[in-house]
Amino acid sequence: MTTLALTGFLGLSAALLGVGVFGILTRRNFILLLIAVEVAMNAAILNFVYFAAFPPNGGSGLSGQAIAVVLIGFAATEVAVGLAIVLALNRLKGTINVAQATDLKL
Amino acid sequence: MSLEELAFLALAVVAVATALLALLVRELVHTILWIAIFFVDLAAIYFLLEAPFLGVLQLGVYAGAVTVLLLFGIMVTRKRIFSREAATGIGPIPLALALVTFIFLVSAVGELPQSEVPVRSYAPSALSVLLFGTDGAWLLLLGLVMLAGVSGAIYLVREGRD
Amino acid sequence: MSFASFAGPFAPEILLLAGALLVFLLDVLKIRRTEIVGAVAVVASAGALLLVLADLGFTPIAGLATIPAGQIDAVPAVGSAPLYAFTSFGLIFQAIFLVAAFLVALASVSRPSDERGAPIFFGLLLIATLGMLLVALASDLIFLLLAIEVVSIPSYLLTGYTRRDRRGLEAAMKFFVIGALSSVLSFFGASLLFGAYGTTNLYLIRAAGTSVGDPVLVLLGYAFLIAGLGFKLTLVPFHAWAVDVYDGAPHEVSAFLAGGTKKIGIFAFFLVFLGPVLAVDATGASGYGLFGGAVALGPSVQITLAVLAVVTMTVGNVLALLQKEMKRMLAYSSISQAGYMLIGIAIGTSPALAGATLQVFAHALMKTGAFLVVGAVAATGVGPLIEDWRGLGTRRPLLGASFGLMLLSLAGVPLTVGFVSKFILFSAAVDARGWFIWLAVAGLLNSALSVYYYARVLKVMFFDPSPAAAAPTGAVEGASEPAILPLGGLGYGRAAAIGLIAGLIVLFGIYPQPVIGAIQSAAQHFLIAGA
Repeated sequence: MTTLALTGFLGLSAALLGVGVFGILTRRNFILLLIAVEVAMNAAILNFVYFAAFPPNGGSGLSGQAIAVVLIGFAATEVAVGLAIVLALNRLKGTINVAQATDLKL
Repeated sequence: MSLEELAFLALAVVAVATALLALLVRELVHTILWIAIFFVDLAAIYFLLEAPFLGVLQLGVYAGAVTVLLLFGIMVTRKRIFSREAATGIGPIPLALALVTFIFLVSAVGELPQSEVPVRSYAPSALSVLLFGTDGAWLLLLGLVMLAGVSGAIYLVREGRD
Repeated sequence: MSFASFAGPFAPEILLLAGALLVFLLDVLKIRRTEIVGAVAVVASAGALLLVLADLGFTPIAGLATIPAGQIDAVPAVGSAPLYAFTSFGLIFQAIFLVAAFLVALASVSRPSDERGAPIFFGLLLIATLGMLLVALASDLIFLLLAIEVVSIPSYLLTGYTRRDRRGLEAAMKFFVIGALSSVLSFFGASLLFGAYGTTNLYLIRAAGTSVGDPVLVLLGYAFLIAGLGFKLTLVPFHAWAVDVYDGAPHEVSAFLAGGTKKIGIFAFFLVFLGPVLAVDATGASGYGLFGGAVALGPSVQITLAVLAVVTMTVGNVLALLQKEMKRMLAYSSISQAGYMLIGIAIGTSPALAGATLQVFAHALMKTGAFLVVGAVAATGVGPLIEDWRGLGTRRPLLGASFGLMLLSLAGVPLTVGFVSKFILFSAAVDARGWFIWLAVAGLLNSALSVYYYARVLKVMFFDPSPAAAAPTGAVEGASEPAILPLGGLGYGRAAAIGLIAGLIVLFGIYPQPVIGAIQSAAQHFLIAGA
């Protein structure tokens, strides 16, 4: 039987969300942006798994695990869509640097 | 401090460190290595939380499929990617924003009550009953997302006949 | 439970899914003519619209209703946690979404921007519409967020479906990054709420009130949800992407994004912050107040939303004033309209909710129409600047008159549906008393401001002389055949859609009673559902 305290896990997921948001805001390479999004998404998934392990109000938190399963599948789809867009753009322009995509005003 | 807590602390440090390294190193291929370690590390945390099915899923989908997908993306766009544009400068404003988010969250987390409670474990079969029974609508929605995503993605990357 | 009794209530959704699959099937069979796949999309969306109207009890076709009468606005049993629920308010939103999708599909039958992409365009359009219908059914936070993704993922792809068009693909890339950030924030907020309440069901969260739930988690969860959903609705600190995306996307996709998919954001706000969730104690008095005790979340959320509303409409209007390009001006005007809709949530009474819903309906008509006209005008070889539209009103009187009507309606001139919706919304704000009156004042001042830039366009179109005769080329950028479509380059489908919108704007401007009645009773049911 494992016993763990609440704050540690939330601190971890907060840190991961911070890292992810930092990456989304600073990185200009599209692949790095995708990775930053995935790091932040993992923070949310970790939260769901965590709250399934320590359900509040003493209820069953199993649906947290079900949500985590669905979110993992969703994140994989999101990566595939993002890569498709970047590949199409790369074929057309030869760069995947978001800052160089200046046809539209930023 | 129990053994589990020690393990969690170690895993947490590795998770944050690898996530940061993945976003900061110059070579994109190294990024993939770090992010793969990050995904495996999170899978270990899921095992620690007694969610073995999710641990396996994390290994299969994230550490496996997503990593390979990203690696493939890098290979296809390789010409310009081994250059340094991976590590452009860090503007002060985004850094400040991310730091504020982080500090805000951590200080809020500090307000929470600390208590040591046993981890609750579930039978994997109970999870499948939930996924395909009462909460089945979530999987149906995921299916729709995948249908749209895959059909559109294939159209975008397919070489046109023109 | 037999299949029929399960499938029945979902007939509109199943019809749309079948339409999308049929389009993909035709694509595989190498039947790719725009008219054929377009007709499938038009028929599917029109059929779904009829079914939804029948479910709403629209008399001439009420016989088509597929949802058993008892299931609409049914009060869920205590302790049950349905993932979806049929509310008359949700059905009204379904009808609005379907109107927008039908109009876009009808107009695109003439000529989407990239003819080779016709099957994928109509297929993704139908799936996105299906997602919008599912958003309107949600009664569970995760169901809601996943349904929003069913809309978002096709909209990223639709924005870039022209493949050979750099601007479209770049807009798609920006849209994708912002959309991914927004969904991550929403899911993170949902995870914190799950941690506080132990459930993601909106009914159960509402029933729990303050009795359980860690206040820190609740507060953080709602803050993240405001940010995440704010991106979808283009509220002001989170609005910057919208202009680039609406500007860079193909015209008919811009129409769909501004007139259709954006409205899921406002419905999500209704659901999460009012609806069966935080709304109303059983007495039906003002919406908030459940969060006594540990955190008084109600008033702080209310004030946050009110500030966001005023900032959004002001910033949107001021920036719209400065634009030189038609599409960017319409995009900023669309941002400011989101501010008007948010007023309804900040007030939280049932008349205000009805006013906001009517505003959503009016905006769906006007903005879809405006972007479709932009597409039609571009197809006749006119440039993107407002200046380029000189004398269009005299050269193409009918097209010019329709566009003028849409702009007048956006500005809120009487005898148009835009006036009716604003009138009801602002009078609800005045009726609510207290500091809400200032919301009405801010809205009125903003409307006055917006008249200026709409009038400028009208002046350019009708009173400035035409430039040296620009012959209609009929060729969209990159299109292969230069053939001129019938009706001077418009095409029958596009002309029909634009004419229909202009007609509806006037019709509901003069005779809005049936719509108002239905919306008001739905809004009342929505606020007391399950109380």
